[in-house]
Amino acid sequence: MSSQLLYLILGMAFVSFLPRVMPMMYFSKREIPQWFHDWMKYVPAALFASLFFKDVFINSGHLEIWGNIKILAAVIVMGVAYKSKSMGISVVAGLGSILLLYYIF
Amino acid sequence: MLKKKPTIWQETLKVAMPLCLSYIPVGLACGILLQKVGFNIFATVLISFLVFSGGAQFLAATMLLDAAPIVSIIMMTLFLELRYILLSSSLSTFMKKEKPSFITIFTRTINDENYAVNYLKFYTDENWTSRKALMVNRYSLASWVISNAIGTFIASGLSLDAHVVDFALTAMFIYMFTMQLQNKLIIFVGLFSGVLAVGSMLLFQNTIGLILATLIASFTGYGIERFLKKNHLEQYLKLQNKNSRHLMDSEATVPHE
Repeated sequence: MSSQLLYLILGMAFVSFLPRVMPMMYFSKREIPQWFHDWMKYVPAALFASLFFKDVFINSGHLEIWGNIKILAAVIVMGVAYKSKSMGISVVAGLGSILLLYYIF
Repeated sequence: MLKKKPTIWQETLKVAMPLCLSYIPVGLACGILLQKVGFNIFATVLISFLVFSGGAQFLAATMLLDAAPIVSIIMMTLFLELRYILLSSSLSTFMKKEKPSFITIFTRTINDENYAVNYLKFYTDENWTSRKALMVNRYSLASWVISNAIGTFIASGLSLDAHVVDFALTAMFIYMFTMQLQNKLIIFVGLFSGVLAVGSMLLFQNTIGLILATLIASFTGYGIERFLKKNHLEQYLKLQNKNSRHLMDSEATVPHE
């Protein structure tokens, strides 16, 4: 393993640990403000949507809508996720449908 | 014969099992992708154990595929992982009695999925403890590290298009998004954030747009909720199956007081 890769892993470990440990250290001794609590409800949906919209609709810096098989695959994954409530099944369905769609088109 | 009470590790294993199983395909895909960008088993085990985040690991793999500099991968990881501020804060209610040393150990292994399991357990099961929650975290970590390692191991014999495997990450985000959809306002916030994200990505060609979109959309949702509560309209936040046409029916929006 190169030292570059090691720095990358250690750096990533550090920046993923900070946002996990700090809030619990702080808030386990204090009350969470109500506005923060209310606002928090909307953050995960907004974040995950922004991430997957980017993945699906943007292809090397350009908007791609017509003939974009990822849109169809995304709709399939959404349906499977809603029905199964299982991350594993959803991911397998996503990989399966993208492979199949690549093969068909 | 006396029926023995299940030990803590048996009880928590039962709780963690669906989670551990669901990590297998994701972990395999992640391990395969990591091998394709130059990770050996040791590096894969190290990143899976230390970072323990499907999103961050896929992100690192795809950014390495595009030969991105290490600093920008770490910055994007930070942005991606900032959401744990929220998850960690919301679990803190159940950790009031814990020492800083326990909180350090516990938070290191928080993940989206074990968070969801533990949060639900803390709410619904009065016998759920922070020790049990830590066990769930550890089981899920073990499953994650092992599936990633196997993925990297088998990948050397596979020829796969990395961009196809990359859709596993997209599917994971879609799954997490779908699990969030509890009411109309959250659906709106998600779609708004998605459109904003695509717009700002096209405009700035920079992933900082994703953070902006998340902040703007989530605060918009919070603002709308406050407005509805102020005007006693909160019943229209709920997902209605039978009476969904009420939303468009202006007469129905008069609050009953």
